[in-house]
Amino acid sequence: MSNEKMYNVKICTGTLCHVMGGAELPALIDFLPNSLQSKVKVTGMVCANYCKNPENKPPFVLINNELIQEASIEKIIKHIQKSELEF
Amino acid sequence: MNSYFIEIGNNSIQKRGQEVCGDVFMSRKLQEEGRSIAVLSDGLGSGIKANVLASMTASMALNFTIANQPIERSAQSIRNTLPIDNERKINYSTFTILDIEYDGETTILEYGNPQFLIFRETEPIDIRNVNISQKSELMISQLKAQKEDRIILFSDGVSQSGMGRADMPFGWDIANINEFISNKLKYDPQISAEKLSKLIVNRALMNDSLSAKDDITCSVIYFREPRDLIICTGPPYKKERDETMVNTISEFNGAKIICGGTTAQIVSRELDREIDVDIFSGDGDLPPVSEIEGFDLVTEGILTLGKVSDWLENNEKINYKSPAGKIIKLFFKNDRINFLVGTRINEAHQDPTLPVELEIRRNVVKKIAKILDEKYLKEVHIQYI
Repeated sequence: MSNEKMYNVKICTGTLCHVMGGAELPALIDFLPNSLQSKVKVTGMVCANYCKNPENKPPFVLINNELIQEASIEKIIKHIQKSELEF
Repeated sequence: MNSYFIEIGNNSIQKRGQEVCGDVFMSRKLQEEGRSIAVLSDGLGSGIKANVLASMTASMALNFTIANQPIERSAQSIRNTLPIDNERKINYSTFTILDIEYDGETTILEYGNPQFLIFRETEPIDIRNVNISQKSELMISQLKAQKEDRIILFSDGVSQSGMGRADMPFGWDIANINEFISNKLKYDPQISAEKLSKLIVNRALMNDSLSAKDDITCSVIYFREPRDLIICTGPPYKKERDETMVNTISEFNGAKIICGGTTAQIVSRELDREIDVDIFSGDGDLPPVSEIEGFDLVTEGILTLGKVSDWLENNEKINYKSPAGKIIKLFFKNDRINFLVGTRINEAHQDPTLPVELEIRRNVVKKIAKILDEKYLKEVHIQYI
């Protein structure tokens, strides 16, 4: 039994997320620290309508179905590292 | 409705050392009359002078034919108008005029060019015997073209290519040209007019050992079934019409593009098919493409369409690997482009603080449709939903 937690990072590829910085996010895999490289899977999703709520701030990313707003590569890595510590 | 689609392709190579080609090809589509006219003219000599002669001849021949002038009189007018060459003291240019009606009825007038060829499916046929009148070197042929026929015109740069070589002392003769084309058609029966003319021109250049001894031009006219494409972009104004939109696109017979995240979601929901996003297929400027089973292409909406519009205007910049380039490639492959445009406005796109200005979909589509119609001679239909 592997005691590794996996992280599924889903990047929204909608128009709004793209222009608000989501375009940079697929480069995440190039910036992952070595310790995380085998644990993170990067995929995409079409606009999931998070932007329809004016309170939400794009770009959006889901990490294991948890919504991250104003996502950046740095923010995603920090979030994963934090859950690694808790895990 | 047209019974045929007439695809026209032309390629030229100028004589080595010349700036321009002395062969000129022109064509015009007269949609209202259901006619297409094409003219190939070869001017005396080569270079600028020949190009001027051929351009004048081709444009006069084209316009006289459009105006339904009797051919004898057109030929006389052309001869009277052309300037006289200083060295040779003659004026001269050859021409072939094609007058094609969309039901296949075709009239071909030849003056001085190598004889045209006709291929029915993969084999050459001889239609010339059926109806020919010969009067002052002017040849008139008439034929009823069928689906999958191709008419091939070329200048003497093709038929005389390789002349003087030990293996082809009199150039590339008709029998060998026929065999060459027949082989290409057997290999690829659906080959486009553009590609076939390119292959013939390249082969003629090779016969001349890659240094063209005369201007080389080949035009191909291909009668075929029109190819249809539908591009569906934007959610319908009323939600009740989602189903209609999805039915229209899924029942469509031809290539299918979905352009827009929300549109893709509607299709995915109604057909219960998954959307698979290929996250690394974007080109930096544009979001990536996705896949839905049964559709040729699924892309983001407004940014991609904006780029399609820019690239169609400036076609040397097109990157065919980008999502926008993939749409353009499908446009080029098809003859009738149908837009199904949902007109619901995406509220989130109207925020004035966005870093880029997002256009209104309807306007971009109208612009693309206009370019496709005017510059690329596609038949375009727009339906709003």
